[in-house]
Amino acid sequence: MNELKQICKDVLTEKKARLIIGYSEDKNKKVKPYIARTPEDAEKFTFNHNAVNNLAVYIPRFKNHFEGKIGIVVKGCDLKAVTALIQENQVKRENLFIIGVNCSGVVRDTDKDFSKDNSQIKCKYCQMKTPGYFDAIAEETIEFELTDDDQAEMMAKIEKMTAEERLDFWNAEFEKCIKCYACRQVCPMCYCEQCIAEKSTPKWIDTSATPRGNFAWNTIRAFHMAGRCIGCHECERACPMDIPLSLLTRKMGMVASAEFGYRPGMSIDEPTLIGSYSTSDKEDFIK
Amino acid sequence: MEEKFEPKIAAFVCNWCTYTGADLAGTSRLKQEANARLIRVPCTGRIDPVFVIKAFENGADGVLISGCHPGDCHYNAGNFHARRRWTMFKNLLEFVGIDSTRLHFSWVSASEGKKWVSVVDGVIDSVRAKGPFTQFKKLNKEHEIPVQTGEGVSTK
Amino acid sequence: MEELIISTENFKKIVKELQEKEFRVIGIPEGENKYQEITVEKELSLNSEAAPAGSSFKEYFFPKSEPIFFYKQNNGSVDLFDPIEDKKGIVVIGAKPCDASAMPIISKVFNWDYKDDLFNKRYDSSLIIGMSCHYKDDYCFCVSTKGSPENTKGSDVFLTTLENNYFKVATITPKGEAFVKEYGKHFEKDEKKHNPVERKEAIPEHFNYEKVKTWLDNNFENKFWDTAGEMCLGCAQCAFVCPTCHCFDLVDEQCGSCEGRRAKNWDACQFSLFTKHASGHNPRDNQEKRYRQRISHKFKYYMDKFDDILCTGCGRCARGCPVSLDILQVVEEINAFAEKS
Repeated sequence: MNELKQICKDVLTEKKARLIIGYSEDKNKKVKPYIARTPEDAEKFTFNHNAVNNLAVYIPRFKNHFEGKIGIVVKGCDLKAVTALIQENQVKRENLFIIGVNCSGVVRDTDKDFSKDNSQIKCKYCQMKTPGYFDAIAEETIEFELTDDDQAEMMAKIEKMTAEERLDFWNAEFEKCIKCYACRQVCPMCYCEQCIAEKSTPKWIDTSATPRGNFAWNTIRAFHMAGRCIGCHECERACPMDIPLSLLTRKMGMVASAEFGYRPGMSIDEPTLIGSYSTSDKEDFIK
Repeated sequence: MEEKFEPKIAAFVCNWCTYTGADLAGTSRLKQEANARLIRVPCTGRIDPVFVIKAFENGADGVLISGCHPGDCHYNAGNFHARRRWTMFKNLLEFVGIDSTRLHFSWVSASEGKKWVSVVDGVIDSVRAKGPFTQFKKLNKEHEIPVQTGEGVSTK
Repeated sequence: MEELIISTENFKKIVKELQEKEFRVIGIPEGENKYQEITVEKELSLNSEAAPAGSSFKEYFFPKSEPIFFYKQNNGSVDLFDPIEDKKGIVVIGAKPCDASAMPIISKVFNWDYKDDLFNKRYDSSLIIGMSCHYKDDYCFCVSTKGSPENTKGSDVFLTTLENNYFKVATITPKGEAFVKEYGKHFEKDEKKHNPVERKEAIPEHFNYEKVKTWLDNNFENKFWDTAGEMCLGCAQCAFVCPTCHCFDLVDEQCGSCEGRRAKNWDACQFSLFTKHASGHNPRDNQEKRYRQRISHKFKYYMDKFDDILCTGCGRCARGCPVSLDILQVVEEINAFAEKS
């Protein structure tokens, strides 16, 4: 990834950004997030099929004390998170230096090599292999073909269940939850300084990892992602209990698209879904 | 003789329209069923979907949300924001297994006492037919006082 | 005591007998990687070459959420009710040394200034059957935390893998001896002299603990902490899967209008609210400080207080971390600083 390294080095040398959030490989060949503040640091940057993380999650952390632009390396899906953050006024476009990379898929099981069968669910229906906009782009690409979207099968299976079966299915999944909040911490759109789950008077969502507390937490988080989730599936990847969280967020994305024609993270200037309204919104379910 | 199931309905109603409409139904002495417990909020825009989950946690078998007709909101646009939220939330709850027989929405204005009665009775009948929400109530199991042998220790 | 061996098949028979006597048998079933209750559908598997399970078995002794008492308001006073005690004894079969050795370590903090009966009742009536480990990956470092793949600390009975699905049995504690005596008919003498399975690769020593401890004693304000944990997202995954992390939160939860319970829930120093005071002040108000706390607690403070390293080198925190923050690499960096000075 020499082109990417060179772009990052130049950005830091010319002080176009005060730091760059990117990916780096450690001595065990594990690709992880890394911050470079000098051109020498930038030598450690890399990008390959193991660059799974959505780095946009770090933007809200640096927005409060910047004296210069924040540089960030983004895949197409990550850029949608950056766009969604700009839509919600969490960062200004002019305070970011966006370094795009052409991506052709990232791994699911990080211990194995990337292949059609070992790729993230989101890669199977990816429409943004090249980030939509950027200040610089690393052109190197690797070929990849879309394959079957096996998650769509699971979604269809759930839709066919009766309400009772669905509630049983989800309660069985939510029972596994240990309230580690990894799903929330890894999500770029969960930037609230005080999460609703942390409010104790009144306590809307139990903090206990009981069936009641877990149902409330996971359902409300999914609702808070309605019209905001860009489908990076980081929540599901981070979950230590393998709860299929992306099914919930994907459902919300499908409803936003079907009912309102809205897709989050596509355009900086578009008003957000839940933050705006139309006088002609559907209301056939209201008596 | 087995007690007939009477559903508990939590009704979140906006102060300016539906609450006033319900009040009108009362002062007009219109006959209505008594299963709905009204929770008054200033505007349907105030209703956070977490209220609905909390209502089910606290024993509600069904939830009704009702407010001003679009265009009539006392705060101009509260119900427009709410309407969009409800589409997303209703679909989420259906996906998770709480279907629309247990969650209802309506627009009832301050002068629609009769409509209020018909909406509430309709919701109560539909939830009564569906039965108690035992599937959700089971989630409370770990929070309920376990069946004890002997009395508890009192702080008296 | 003479050397005894046992086959996997006979172990399954012991499991059945234990279950009939109303014990909860915890192990890792075939094809899975989570410690859970062994049932008819989920048969016990004793595979010493498997990776450490995704999380530890501490939840059977220290549940993720447990009630301390229930309350009911009653005409101006409050009635308190005890939770129903789970009288079933726990038997863990096939615990890796990095998991088994954690139990006596955390038992110290649960018996420090306050004897935690909720933990003690479960731990004192339990039996832990450890098993030697033949796994190695880049995240394992049990050897550097005063442990090893054959460490018997925390086990009442210890199994060493032999060829042909046999295990050599060693009794470590009186409880272990009593167990082997009681189920003696399933054990046998090693007439055929089965050979032990050799470990393919030894786990190297990654750092010198004493040097790391000395560095931690003297470098609270070191600039290293400004970037060591800066990629940490502040979730609690590492703490919750860790066999030695033990912090908890006490919460009161309402159920209905006059009833509720007080619960003890898992908590983690990585959460932003962990040290927030009622005044609003938070002494650990950024992730860098919180990460410093994690490393210091594990490798310094617990040693100062309880004479134990609060880490068994199982590596599951690093395997599961969403941003691949590797505790071993952080401690190796500290070791390098310590060696230079």
